[in-house]
Amino acid sequence: MKMIRAILRPETAEGIAEALADAGFVSMTQVHVFGRGKQKGITVGTIRYEELPKTMILMVVEDKNVDDVIDLIKDRAYTGNFGDGKIFVSPVETAYTVRTGAKGL
Amino acid sequence: MKEIIAIIRPRKVGPTRNALEQLGFPSMTATAVTGRGLQRGIAGEVNMDCPPELLATNKPGGMKYVPKRLLSIVVQNSDVETVVKTIIEVNQTAQIGDGKIFVCPLDNAVRVRTDERGESAVL
Repeated sequence: MKMIRAILRPETAEGIAEALADAGFVSMTQVHVFGRGKQKGITVGTIRYEELPKTMILMVVEDKNVDDVIDLIKDRAYTGNFGDGKIFVSPVETAYTVRTGAKGL
Repeated sequence: MKEIIAIIRPRKVGPTRNALEQLGFPSMTATAVTGRGLQRGIAGEVNMDCPPELLATNKPGGMKYVPKRLLSIVVQNSDVETVVKTIIEVNQTAQIGDGKIFVCPLDNAVRVRTDERGESAVL
């Protein structure tokens, strides 16, 4: 299992969530976060914004589905400008469902 | 070291915290998150009459994302079983939406105050 953390533009997040649900990846967690990348935020006129609002989508999927999910997110999140976001993939050893106590997704 | 990421009901944070504290795991991080599971949020769970003009708009309504708390707890390898078992025991309500627990490997930890590294930095 892998955990996919995608940090995206807030306005694209809703569409991505719907696209993922249509593709069968319904379960996810959304967190509203603030961050910046290599460009150190953004300058509008004379004002510098050090941190920009982003939405982080956090989901755990089976190994074989990782590429599908990444492709889907990439496709929907792309605008070609700085700030489209990043996707991180990290290992997960075990998952439990609290209601049943069963292992696995 | 392992990181235990538990996504649970907001109302269960207190009991979970107390239960873990009793066992000697007082440290944790909690974040307010929203999420959904296989049921796609809450739809049609509330029983009430809908005005016909609202039904005519053909928007299903319901709650797309359910508010949850994400707990992140870092423990030694040997304590993973105990903590997971406790979280499951405290959070079971037999209703859909009790949450998920993920156990992830962790490479290193640093205690900022003393610059300790690795296992000794965790509790």
